[in-house]
Amino acid sequence: MSGKTHTYAFFLGCIAPNRYPGIEAAAIKTSRNLGIELVPLKGASCCPAPGAFGSIDLNVWYAMAARNLVLAEQMNTDITLICNGCYKSIWEVNHKLKHHDELRDNVNEVLKEIDMEFKGTIDVRHLIEIYYDKKICGVDKLADSVTSPLNGVKVAVHYGCHLLKPRKEREFEAEGVGDTENPMWMEELVAALGAEPVQYRNKMQCCGAGGGVRGYDIAHALDITNEKLINMSEVGADAITEGCPFCQLQFDRGQIEIGEKFGVEWAIPVLHFNELLGLAQGMSPQDLALDLHGISCEPFLNKLQ
Amino acid sequence: MAKAKGYSDENLSVRLADRYYRTDDASPDFLKNIEKIGMTIAHMCYQCGTCTGSCPSAPRSSYRIRKFVRRAVLGLENDALTDPDLWLCTTCYSCTDRCPRDIAPTDIIMAMRNLAFKRKIVPRNFLNTVQFIYKTGHGVPNNDVNRAARVKLGLEAEPETTAKYPEFIPGIQKILDHYGLKDEADEILSEGQ
Ligand code: SF4
Ligand code: SF4
Repeated sequence: MSGKTHTYAFFLGCIAPNRYPGIEAAAIKTSRNLGIELVPLKGASCCPAPGAFGSIDLNVWYAMAARNLVLAEQMNTDITLICNGCYKSIWEVNHKLKHHDELRDNVNEVLKEIDMEFKGTIDVRHLIEIYYDKKICGVDKLADSVTSPLNGVKVAVHYGCHLLKPRKEREFEAEGVGDTENPMWMEELVAALGAEPVQYRNKMQCCGAGGGVRGYDIAHALDITNEKLINMSEVGADAITEGCPFCQLQFDRGQIEIGEKFGVEWAIPVLHFNELLGLAQGMSPQDLALDLHGISCEPFLNKLQ
Repeated sequence: MAKAKGYSDENLSVRLADRYYRTDDASPDFLKNIEKIGMTIAHMCYQCGTCTGSCPSAPRSSYRIRKFVRRAVLGLENDALTDPDLWLCTTCYSCTDRCPRDIAPTDIIMAMRNLAFKRKIVPRNFLNTVQFIYKTGHGVPNNDVNRAARVKLGLEAEPETTAKYPEFIPGIQKILDHYGLKDEADEILSEGQ
């Protein structure tokens, strides 16, 4: 194990710090145990939400995301983050502005008004993809950090959409990340924690929340969620894990809303990968504020051997 | 109509036939605008339907992404922008991943939504998000239950974002004001009240 510490500017987004703060706490602690130091990106805003803002005016989306990127450029530090939606905004706008001169000029025109300039000097990575990167962490090192293995539970991985798709535009440093039809790297990470990852039908389907659909037509969004829940329950999943607090919200609150709207009862705990990792590294449910979850995590915790 | 043909020789362009079939209410600029805003080659679509076949919204609604792509190509601006289904795309990018013509149907939808917004056609939830961000920097702002939970976790009550450093909010407001977004959102939202 190399003793080198890797430091990243930690972009929080909205839903993790403001609805599931246990994800934030876990990300900082679990990463430190892996030699990854997360330093605050002071003054960051919403990424901004790619569905909401991109749908209204893409130029605003570029400029707002660029402001967040410039904050990290000023620290001379690469960004890491824990949300697929944030990944779409921050990674993709960084990539676009680096490669399209006209776009960059337009954005810098606006940023000038607040004495900022996008230079294109930093990179953006999703924390979970960093965990899979052998050059920094890798599956073995992750497994070595486990003190309370999650034995005896089946976990369904929900990859979400915006980390991996559209595949043609994405570039990943970690080897083995990128497939969008049947990726298995997150299952490897789950297995490293001692849990049993399960395969289910239509694994790569969306959670249903994105693109503003959750706000526009909640029944439509929940119907998509419900289909995923059916497919996950068919293979006996004891919990769902993901790398996106918005997907988490959709699965977690969504199960309650599905009960209210469709009369279908679900009780599958939903844990962000950092929360799972926290448990595996010995953090308590209190350390992770699991009581803030809509669906109780108790059945999952009780099943752990 | 001549411009729709897009030949660089202006005179020749006028004399040659427009190969697209168009209805009277079609707008040739629609396709061009979409391709510019969405940065994608919508005109390459050969209507294979792979996009609709990949779409999680298709089986549970009348939303058909292939139809929207066709509308883009045919310049059926009004049809596309006034269709309530335009807002049922979850932006999952499955269609974009699988399109054999390397088109990004998702980004066609995003471009159409941008154009719809210019006509004040937009669901309210999108505008509410704008207002939240204008005020707090966050689309989903902090609240007291969460503050208490954060403190218990050993985190600060306010995250290290605009929540803890509100001095960054005026800069965000300047960006939004540059595009007139807040005023536009306020105006449209006040209409319904
Ligand atoms: S998958 Fe591509 S080529 Fe096929 S219908 Fe959809 S947009 Fe057109
Ligand atoms: S991005 Fe939109 S149109 Fe394409 S498959 Fe997903 S929901 Fe359907």
